[in-house]
Amino acid sequence: MKHETYNMKQKTIQKIILEFEPEMENLLPALKKISAVFGYVGEKEANALADYFGVPESKVFETASFYDEIKTEKQPEILIQVCSSANCAVNDSFSIIKEIENSFKIKVQEISCLGRCADGPIMVVNGKIYEKVTKSSVHGILEEYL
Amino acid sequence: MKKIKIITEHWGKIDPLKIEDYLEVGGYKALEEFILGMDRAGALGEIKKSGLCGRGGAGFPTGEKFEIVASQIGKKYFICNLDESEPGTYKDRMICDKNPHLLLEGIIISALIVGADKAYIYINGNYQKQKEILEVALLQAKKKKFWGNKILESDYSLKIEIYSGAGAYICGEETALINSIEGNRGEPKLRPPYPTGCGLFGRPTAINNAETISNIPWIILNGGEKYSKIGSKNSPGTKLFLLNGAVEKPGIYEAPTGITVRKLIDEYAGGIKKGKEFWFAQIGGACGKLLLEKELKAKMEFGKACQCPLGSGSILVIDKSVNIYDLLISWTDFFRRESCGKCVPCREGTFRLWEIAKRFKDGKISERDKEAIQDILWTLERTTFCPLGKFAGTAFRDAITKNILTF
Repeated sequence: MKHETYNMKQKTIQKIILEFEPEMENLLPALKKISAVFGYVGEKEANALADYFGVPESKVFETASFYDEIKTEKQPEILIQVCSSANCAVNDSFSIIKEIENSFKIKVQEISCLGRCADGPIMVVNGKIYEKVTKSSVHGILEEYL
Repeated sequence: MKKIKIITEHWGKIDPLKIEDYLEVGGYKALEEFILGMDRAGALGEIKKSGLCGRGGAGFPTGEKFEIVASQIGKKYFICNLDESEPGTYKDRMICDKNPHLLLEGIIISALIVGADKAYIYINGNYQKQKEILEVALLQAKKKKFWGNKILESDYSLKIEIYSGAGAYICGEETALINSIEGNRGEPKLRPPYPTGCGLFGRPTAINNAETISNIPWIILNGGEKYSKIGSKNSPGTKLFLLNGAVEKPGIYEAPTGITVRKLIDEYAGGIKKGKEFWFAQIGGACGKLLLEKELKAKMEFGKACQCPLGSGSILVIDKSVNIYDLLISWTDFFRRESCGKCVPCREGTFRLWEIAKRFKDGKISERDKEAIQDILWTLERTTFCPLGKFAGTAFRDAITKNILTF
């Protein structure tokens, strides 16, 4: 059974990789896609990418580890991110972070501007973006996930 | 006087997903004009005459950049820099949302002027919806033969590709952006060689901000001379300004360059929000200078002689109810996160500043910290590899010298 799932995964990786031409300008898009599908780029995925693009595995990780959108480690089941850039900060995003961490005992990841400053503060939960969140509205939003 | 609008002219009046709407208001007329009635040198001359300069923050003359790339032979690239991630800035996002074809027309004309046969649109990875809008626009424009093989039955050909970034502030820096497309870490490279000589895949590359490019169709249609008479002498034209924070009507406004900050706040954004007391304004995002009330007469323009660099055009109005320590942490934490780690002064400097900012908030600031602040700021300003580090401490320094932060 374990062997079967391993093969399945291997096939999916190959299928994704084959969507891209083996040129260096496609390395970043391929990494992004793999990170989005599997949640992160693990050693198996990096190995397959390295083979396909004809570069060392270290090069794949070198690029992957630089970008925020590409994860190289398994992510927590619930990832809560709150923007703490100046525009959201003056709209109280720090007290929202405190509120979440105190009420739900989950560490919040602070992120940089998403360019939605007119609708701030911005919260992102597992990739879904919430605008104009307040200290009270976060409770309703997060209860759906917990 | 009627307010001159170049980029926002048709915003809200046309459907961004319909090329017909844009054609009806005279869209792609500039491209036709360029192909049927002009040559490359003529168009380049108009852009040089217009005095248009880069809207991404540095304000480099666009005509000059085009000329350097155009004068070289062989394969060349054109890149539209849409990796907008300066806090408080969303002008390029709005351009995509409201009138993507204007941007596209500008990209096509610019790429043809410099003689590139491939253009990339490097878009911020978070701008998923904007990417989709641009994809639709690209498809529609291709059907009308505005790009692809033999544009409008002429000898010009151009390929356009959207390249999505992966969430890194530093990739807005041109050499870092090139590294990112080449599949490397998005770290800046030493300049020179400049991208205009040795850019993407070692070929001459023109990289321009999306807002700069959106001005090109107007210049081609109306002539460079007319453009050069708008706004300030040193950096003519209009600029998109983003007013946020404690103002009555926050939002995006197009105004001629050379306008004062006070005028922008009072006449465009409806003044300070009722019940709030003005404290200071931050110009140009997280790396921007702080202006006190008496300094609001500063003119917003580019160039070495300007009173206050306008950066990306964002203006954040801070009122007295804001906790300055929160802001300090916001600024320093932003640069700590986004520093690429290539050079030590920036990697360490931004980290230490953030630590000190946290101690400020906790009221645990020591004499040693106070001395260290000066050293760190000095080092950041003078020794970092790229502009990110150079400006990482600007707001912090202004907060101290202008007595916003007292200790």
